[in-house]
Formats: sequence, C-alpha cells, structure tokens
Amino acid sequence: MLVTFAQAVGDAMREEMRRDDRILIFGEDIAEFGNIFGITRGMLEEFGSKRVRNTPISEMAFIGAAMGAAETGLRPCVELMYSDFSLVAFAEIYHCIAKWRYMHGPEYKLPLVIRSAMGSSFGATGEHSNCLESLYMHSPGLLVASPSTAYDAKGLLKEAIRNDNPVMFFEHKQLYKTKGEVPEEEYTIPFGVADIKREGSDVTIIAIGLMVGRALEAAEALAKEGISVEVLDPRTLVPFDKEAVRKSLSKTHRAMVVEESNKTSGVGAELAAMMQEEMYDELDGPVVRVAALDVPLPYNIELEKYAIPDAEQIAAAIRKMF
Amino acid sequence: MEYSNEFLMKLYEELLRCRLFEKKLVDTYALGKIPGHIHSGLGGEACYVGTLATRQQGDYFKNSHRCIAVANLLGVSLETAFSEIMAKRTGNAGGRGGVNHVSQLKYNMLGFSATLACDIGLAGGAAMRLQYDGIDNMAYTFYGDGTANRGPVHEAMNLAAVWKLPVLFVCDNNQFGISTHVSQGSSVPNPGADRAGAYGMPSEVADGTDVLAVYEAAKRLTDHIRAGKGPAVLECKNYRWRGHFEGDQTPYRDKAVTEEWMKKDSVAKMEKLLLDKKIIDQAAIDNMYQQIDDEMERAIAFAEASPAITPEEIYDNLYV
Ligand SMILES: Cc1ncc(C[n+]2csc(CCOP(=O)(O)OP(=O)(O)O)c2C)c(N)n1
Ligand SMILES: [Mg+2]
Repeated sequence: MLVTFAQAVGDAMREEMRRDDRILIFGEDIAEFGNIFGITRGMLEEFGSKRVRNTPISEMAFIGAAMGAAETGLRPCVELMYSDFSLVAFAEIYHCIAKWRYMHGPEYKLPLVIRSAMGSSFGATGEHSNCLESLYMHSPGLLVASPSTAYDAKGLLKEAIRNDNPVMFFEHKQLYKTKGEVPEEEYTIPFGVADIKREGSDVTIIAIGLMVGRALEAAEALAKEGISVEVLDPRTLVPFDKEAVRKSLSKTHRAMVVEESNKTSGVGAELAAMMQEEMYDELDGPVVRVAALDVPLPYNIELEKYAIPDAEQIAAAIRKMF
Repeated sequence: MEYSNEFLMKLYEELLRCRLFEKKLVDTYALGKIPGHIHSGLGGEACYVGTLATRQQGDYFKNSHRCIAVANLLGVSLETAFSEIMAKRTGNAGGRGGVNHVSQLKYNMLGFSATLACDIGLAGGAAMRLQYDGIDNMAYTFYGDGTANRGPVHEAMNLAAVWKLPVLFVCDNNQFGISTHVSQGSSVPNPGADRAGAYGMPSEVADGTDVLAVYEAAKRLTDHIRAGKGPAVLECKNYRWRGHFEGDQTPYRDKAVTEEWMKKDSVAKMEKLLLDKKIIDQAAIDNMYQQIDDEMERAIAFAEASPAITPEEIYDNLYV
C-alpha cells in the first residue's frame, strides 16, 4: 500500500503499542492535537492518556523521565518536537542516556527512542532547520537512524522501539508528505544495514535523509551523460554499514558523501576520513563532500536553497570527479 | 514521636555505617588507592539515613555524589562498592564508572550523573513507571544546595507536580557548592524547601545533623506522597565537614565556624541518646565500630586483590 512517510511513522508506533503494552509515548502536543504534523493523531483515543501524554515544555525533565521509566521497565518512545531542541536536553542525552549502562553496569538497559522532526523546511530559519546526526554519532552508546523513505521509516522505527539500546530517530520534515510503498504484512529493518537505492558502476554517493532523493535525481541526469551512479543510503549512522560501502567502492572506486548539514565536522567529514583510513586501496581519488554551507540557515527561501545541496550541485560535483 | 528500641538501633547502625564508610573513603584515598576524586559525605550522613528510614521495599532511589555509603545502605555489598571505587572488574561497572556510579539496579538504584541535576528527572521517570503499573511505591531523589539552582531540578519538580508523581526531592544543604556559600547561589534562605511552593508542593526544613529530626520530617512528607497526593521537598541543613574534594583546604570559610558545626555530630547525638536510654553500652558501641571497620577492611582487601578489566574489555557494556 502507498502511504506517506508521516503515516508510516505513526503506523510503526501504533503497531508496536498494540503488540507491547510497556510502550508509551510522550512529548509536546502529541495527545489531543496529535503532534504538529498529525503523526500521533488518534493515538490518545486508541491507547488512552496513560500511554499517550502531553508534557510541559520541559525537555530536560521529560527526557530524564523517559530514562527513569526505561530503566525501570517501560519502553518510552518520546517525541522531541524538533531535533533542534534536543540540544536543550543535550547533556541528558549525550552524558546520561548514552553513557548510563557503561558507567553503571550491564543491568542498566535503556530501551528508549527519541523521535524528532529535523531538517530544513522552507524558511524555518537557523533554529528549526538543523541536521544534528553528527553530534549524536559522536557520543558512544547511542544508536542513530535517519531514514529517507516511508518503508525505511516504518521498519527502522519498529526495530528502534524493540531495541534495548537508546535510539535517536530523525524524521525529515520535507519527507513527511512523500509517499512510498509499504507492505501490508509486518516487517522490521535491522540497524546497520545500508540500502542501495540505485545501482551504478562509476561512483558511489553516500546520502542520508532528504539528500537521498536529490542524489537519485542527480544520478538520473548523469545516466544520460554516460555516468553510472550508485546511491547508497546507510539508513542508520550508528551502527554504520561499512561493509556495504566497501562492496560498493570495490565496484566504483569513487566516493561522494552528500548531506544536508553544514560541512564542517559533519557526517561527511567522518565518513570521508573513515574511507580514507580503512578503504584507501579501493579509492581512485579523494572522497568528495557535498554539504550545506557553513552558515546558520537563512530565512530567505532563495538563500536557504542556495545553502543546501540540490541535484544540480551534486551532479556538477560528480562531473568534476572524472 | 515514640520509637522502639529496634528502630533506634537500626537507625544508629545505618548512621554509623555511613559515617565509617565515608571516613574509610578518605583514609583509603589518602593511601593513594583510589584513582578518581572523592567527595566525602562526613557531616551529612543524617540527611540520607533519616530520609531513607522511611523507605519501603519497591521504592526507587537516585543518590547524590556526597554520600556514596548510601549504596551500601540500599544493598550494594562493600566488596562491590570498593571494587568499583578502586576501578576493579568486581565493581558494578567493572571499574568503568567509578566512585560516583556505585549503583545496582537490582536494589532499585537509578544511577547518578556527575553532570549535576541531569539525573534529577530519573526519579520522575521511575515514579511514572510505578503509576503506570498501579504500584504504591515512591522514588527518592537527592541533590545538593548548589545543584538546587540548576534548571533540570525546576523542570523535574514541575513535571512531578503536574503529573502528581510520587517523588520526594531531598536537598542535602551542606551550605556549600565547592567554595560557593549557599547565600551566594540562592536568593532564598532554603534553596530546596523555598522553591517547593512555586510548584504547589509541601516542604519541610529539617536539622540535618539530627537523624530523628530528619526522619520525622521525611515521614510526614512521605506519608503525603504515599497517600497519592503528589511530590514534596525535604531540605536537610547540615555542614560539609571536609573540603569539596580531598586536598581542598577550604580557604573560603572560617575554621571556627566549621569547628562549631562539627560539634553538631549526628552520630554522637545518637550515641548519647542510646546510652542515656540504656539501649546500648559503650562496650557494645566500641564493638560495632570494630566490626564495621573489619568488614570494610576485608572488602578493601578483596578489591585490592581483584583484577582490573583488560583493554580487550573496554567496549563491553556500551551496547546491549
Ligand atoms: C552541571 C555541573 N556543573 C558543575 C559541576 C562541578 N561541580 C561538581 S560538585 C559541585 C558542587 C555541588 O554543590 P552541591 O550541589 O551543593 O553538592 P555538594 O557537593 O555540596 O554535596 C560542582 C560545581 C558539575 N559536576 N556539574
Ligand atoms: Mg552543597
């Protein structure tokens, strides 16, 4: 069936909550209102106020509460309205949630998911447009997912909810309305398994989130020029499927990372360094990064567009690799 | 309040165990056997022991960095505790966490964050779980007078109050956050209790050098909480006997004032009460000191003889 990304996310939560009554959701405006994107609409009615709760605007407190609840036997799937505001509870996530089991011992499992809407969305400006995956990749102990399709979002979120490790789950705002095929039957997608979104033989683009679609557009255009592009979507950044990258590079020998976050210290920086350290023998040239400009995302829509990679920029950067 | 002799003896024994543990920590640190920093809880024991005398099977606990002995009170063996403190494999985290993270979930201990206040909300989460399952227990969360000024404390108080969670916030007001006197950090005289009203919670200020006074205040507040009426704040006023960490010579405070406060010794007060009431004699007290000390010496010897984890095990426990 064809569903939107937003519907797929909501369905993943609903199905899991029907399966396991230890799962509960809480966050800002998720109950009566059904979240600002409508994702949790109807869940209060279906599961009741015990399992679907509005929180005050107190990110530190409700992230802390999610942790305490997870330690003691619940499986919270909480919503941080925008990933930008995860920084308000950054110490709770980066220090506590990530490190808790390591610092206190193996019995301290934290089966919790923090879902957030992320990324640019037409004039949302510098504090409502961030892509923060790289920050959370930097804190050992967390899992990080950033899906690009409805199918991946549903399968990965169901896996995240079942996983006994804490998961940062990023949902791109511009993807919410995109539609994709999702099977009727139940499925989950394991973390750490990349998906080849398009096969190719000349160059590998590693793209995440919204950038996967733009990489595919670029690949389509380049195919007409005789350049065959492989688009690899890691789907989860922690764990990261290095083997899939190695396999792709053994065919293409050229790599590009495309991300929506600004370039400095981004996901691309890490992946480029990793490939050059561990897969140098497979590379015929330097890894190329295509990323947003190092500016707070401007309000002006034209400038916002200018700051973030599009299919044309990606294609142009690929042409230069040959 | 009327107390049974058994109750008074139990309170005294717990108080003494905390006192001797915190003292042993100082002595062991001085011998160079502890790699990290310790924060001696000497002088503040009654805050923890008096409060926790109201605990019931099934309650949850979030400790502070100031009285590690609480872990032992709640069930962690001395062997496990000293092993973690001395960074050995036999510690609860195999020496990966250290002195601030002596904790075991099987004793309903929620853990501790060295990023002060970031863990305050855990008690609310544990209390949510109790509410979720319709269990009549509660959660305790301890924090210092300095920490009382951090935002997460206020958010956690508000959340607990608005959701009527069974949480007791316990402010160990030892009058200093490192060198900063409580009056430099808070605009109100009682940084714990005076904030409760803003969230519609009841509160009490207790003499934190008197374990019975703490117990009585804690009892009133926990009765309120256990009756399903929502969270409360208990503040215990005491005085940090030693420096913030070992080696802190406390140039920021008056030695005469410290000496005055050290006369308000919670352990000595209990001993006097028990001797006056003839519940125990001096020989029996001396015997308890000896026994507890022997136990701790054995635990330290065990920890010393235990191996450390190897580099191959450095990633263990990071992911399930
Ligand atoms: C968020 C944060 N800020 C600062 C510190 C450094 N620090 C450690 S203990 C301490 C003093 C804490 O004072 P208080 O809350 O009164 O507790 P006490 O040490 O007196 O028991 C400070 C500032 C920290 N660990 N975490
Ligand atoms: Mg203090």
